[in-house]
Amino acid sequence: MGIVTALRDLRTVRALLTGAEAESRSAGEPVPGPEHLLLAATALPDGTAAAALARVGVDAAQLRTAIEAAHAAALASVGVAADADGGGLQGPATGPMRSTPQAQRVFRQAVAAARAARSPLRGTHVVVAVCDLEHGATARALAALGVDREELRAAALSG
Amino acid sequence: MVVEPLPAPEDPEAALAAVVALRRLAGRLEVDAVVEAVGQGWTWAQVGEALGISAQAAHKKFAAEVRARRGR
Repeated sequence: MGIVTALRDLRTVRALLTGAEAESRSAGEPVPGPEHLLLAATALPDGTAAAALARVGVDAAQLRTAIEAAHAAALASVGVAADADGGGLQGPATGPMRSTPQAQRVFRQAVAAARAARSPLRGTHVVVAVCDLEHGATARALAALGVDREELRAAALSG
Repeated sequence: MVVEPLPAPEDPEAALAAVVALRRLAGRLEVDAVVEAVGQGWTWAQVGEALGISAQAAHKKFAAEVRARRGR
């Protein structure tokens, strides 16, 4: 890997991790999960994750709303009606960056896929890795949006 | 709050999603309540006592958020 690619990947990694943390904290969750990594990927300057989602008819705002709605529906299933807007965490993120094991796996898979393809790390690498997740908030939100994960994976790989 | 029948255990997908959503809701409620308590003059020992954790644990977990929200 050339030095230019390495430096660009470092910037991408930093944008992904800080972006995921900002997404989770604004949702009131201290630890980012794959859904927050996916949202962070859609904001990357390479634009590939947003383009893949657009090909299946979804944008980041819709995805964010669908994640909230999936949690609200799950609460409703146990008879809890809760205000969707929690206001989010406002304090500075402290200590080392944490994330769920699933988010860590998505990140590792994305980096490995980029390396295997001798490509710079791009948003689509995250999208493809996220499509492997069968359970959890990301899978439920995508399903609620009518997005087939295999279709999204194909859209990301063709991008 | 009206408690409706819980998702059937035969549907673990729905039941586990509800658990995740409840944890998330509990986390939000916890932070909001601690910020309010400290604003009302509660000590970290009192907050910890109410939550069943140590004063140190309460401070470590919430102090930065309380400072940020109270503008101090």
